[in-house]
Order: sequence, then C-alpha cells, then structure tokens
Amino acid sequence: MGLLDSEAGKRRLLSVEIPVIERYNEGRDPAYRVQLVRLGGTLILRYGLKPAHNVYQLETRLVSSYPMVPPETRVLTPLKHCPHLLEGQTLCLWRQGSTRATSRWDPSQFTCVFAIQAAWRWLACYEIWHEVGEWPVPEAK
Amino acid sequence: MHLLQVGAGSGGMPVLDMVCRDARVDIVTLIEPDVYKAHNVERHLFPSSAVGRSKGQLAEEWLKARRPDLEVRVFAYNMLDAAAQADIEEAAAQADIGVCAADNEPAKFHFDALMRRARKPWTLGEVLSGGIGGFVHWFVPDGPCYGCVASHLQREVKVAEEKLPDYSQPGGPAPEVTIPAGKASIQTIASLHALVTLGLVEHGQAYQPGFTSLLFTMQRVADIFDEAFRPYRFRIPRSQTCLICRESSASSARQLTAEEVDVALDQALARLGDA
Repeated sequence: MGLLDSEAGKRRLLSVEIPVIERYNEGRDPAYRVQLVRLGGTLILRYGLKPAHNVYQLETRLVSSYPMVPPETRVLTPLKHCPHLLEGQTLCLWRQGSTRATSRWDPSQFTCVFAIQAAWRWLACYEIWHEVGEWPVPEAK
Repeated sequence: MHLLQVGAGSGGMPVLDMVCRDARVDIVTLIEPDVYKAHNVERHLFPSSAVGRSKGQLAEEWLKARRPDLEVRVFAYNMLDAAAQADIEEAAAQADIGVCAADNEPAKFHFDALMRRARKPWTLGEVLSGGIGGFVHWFVPDGPCYGCVASHLQREVKVAEEKLPDYSQPGGPAPEVTIPAGKASIQTIASLHALVTLGLVEHGQAYQPGFTSLLFTMQRVADIFDEAFRPYRFRIPRSQTCLICRESSASSARQLTAEEVDVALDQALARLGDA
C-alpha cells in the first residue's frame, strides 16, 4: 500500500512530486538534474549538488509510505565522519511527528524537492564543519 | 448508525466502549490486527487472562456482553495492507462515522484519505507521551484534513516555549518522554474523544462545538504547559496549500482513470530517467 502501488500514491506523484521535479530540472545543468529510478515500491531520486567547493552525488529515497514518512537522503560521495550523519552516509534530517520545529517532516507542505534543498543545506553545513570543526546550525545540536 | 473504527488499543478500546453504549450505534466495523500482549494489561480494559488473544475478538466480546443487539464486524488486518483495501473502502462507504485510534502517522493519514473519499465525518484522539496532555480532532468532508491540522498545530500554534522536549521520541534524553502515558491520562483523552464522536453522532455535519481540535493539558510541564487541566480550543481552517487535500489545479491527475494514471506515470518516470 504505497507510493507506486496505490491509486492515491500514484496520483500524488503525478499531481505533486513529478511536476516539482520537472520544474527543478528546468534549465538546470544536466549534471545537477534529478533522475528517477524505480526500485520495487521505492522511488529513488539521483542528483548532484554543489553547495560550495565540492560536488556531491546523492540519492533521496521515497519509500513506499512516502509522503507520510520522510524521504531518506544519503550521500554517495565519501564523506568524513561528522555530526548528523547516520549509518550508510544517510543524512539526519527529520523525525516523523517530531515536536521540534527543525526536526519535522510535514507531508502537507513538503515535497521531495524540499528534501533536496535540505540536503543542500546539510552539505553546506558539512563544508563549514570540515573547515572550522563546528557544525554551524545551532538548533541542530 | 454504522461506526468504522481503526484501533482497539488502550486509547481506542475505551472510545469504542463509550460510543457503542449509545443505542443509536447499531453496527461497528473494527479494524484491529494486533494480539493482546502482557505489556498491554496495565493500560487496557481487558484482563491478563486475555493475553495472547486477538484484540479485535476481545473487543467484539466486550461489546456484545454490553450490547447483545450490536452487530460487530472485525477486520484483523493492518489498515495499510494492500490486500485489505477493497474491504476497508467498502466498510468506509457503508459507515456513517469513523473513529481513528491508530498510533502511527501513516495510519492516521490513510484513514483521513479513506474517510475523505467516502465523504464521512470522523474523529481522532492522540495522547502525548508521558500523559501530559492530549488532542481530540474532528473532521468533516470539505473541512481541513489531517494534514492541514497536523501542519497547523506543529508550525503555527505556540502553546509553549521553544526548545520543547521531543515527545515523538519515547526513550529519548528528556526524562518525561521516557514515561509512557498512564491509564488515567489515556482514559481522560478517550472520554473527550468519545464525547466529540457522540456529538457528531447527534448532530452529524452540523456539529459545531466551537473548535476543530481540542488540546487538553493534564500536567504542568516546565516550558511546555504552564497549567495542568487546561483546554486549548483551535479552529483550524482548511489550508489552501495543503498537498494532501487540495484539488490540484496544475494537473489533471485527479480526472484520469486508473489505467490512464498508470500510463501517465510510466511516461513521466521514463522522461525523468527511469529505464
């Protein structure tokens, strides 16, 4: 019962997620466009980001129960061990139903492109941490 | 009146019990896949001797012992199970009112979508970790959906200071989130949930209690709730930007048949790189 195998999930993809991905890709350098890969009941977004000096390859997984559960984003490019990085280089971004403003995933307002923007912000923090040794977003501590 | 309820756990069972004592309710369809476990006994209506039995079956026996005339249908399915959807859709179409006592977000969103498609009113109760308070919400077709309500309450309503303990993470570092809600707290929110449900039974879609969501505090918690036993009443409007319930003007996806949706999706995925 999910994104790719239910009527509601498919309609959400067609009416919300795919249009925003197409808008994101419009006019963007091909190296940074989002590509979609279907893997069972999961839809994977593959893309590159360059928040500052370096280019990172990432994938964001929209699992079967997306958008009710947050997307999972991991960096494919090797990173140094750092704060807010989970196993498999998965970014620590949201917790389902969290009461903390910065930890919330809101399926009524957020799309998968928001997850890409969040990943960009995370990587920008990573680059600063890499230089100065401190994570620059206080509320994430 | 036909009631469709999901969940007969420690919060759902007292709601079911209280609502079904009303003689206007004559049919109940209960979706409950779980088995009664030893750790449930402390907070549940059922005795320890019932451990190991199906909660749905226990609920049916409980109701029939008090209302022999009540027709009880139990679906021992997980509500999100794809194989169960046809039965659940049919139950929603036949029901007059819904009660959601599920304890996870995907199930709440799924029940919301189900009841909106069936155009039936429904209610939802939520007890906060530690039993410090709880919410009761009611929904009608064309009103705010669960996504509108959850988004509004999380992002706009401030009933407390910033830097809240994260109550969504039982077992987390704040001591109060490690304490599960006690039976008295659960029963209090369940009673409010039952009262709101009975208000909908009485008045249908004309029900106007003066709020769409009720928060009732039960403990004073530093930086969270200034006072115990204080109600907060929220009138939450339908969000024009809600991605869950808004009618999409940008896409004709909602007018497509199921087959056309499959074709359009395959084409879109191919366009975006899916081989």
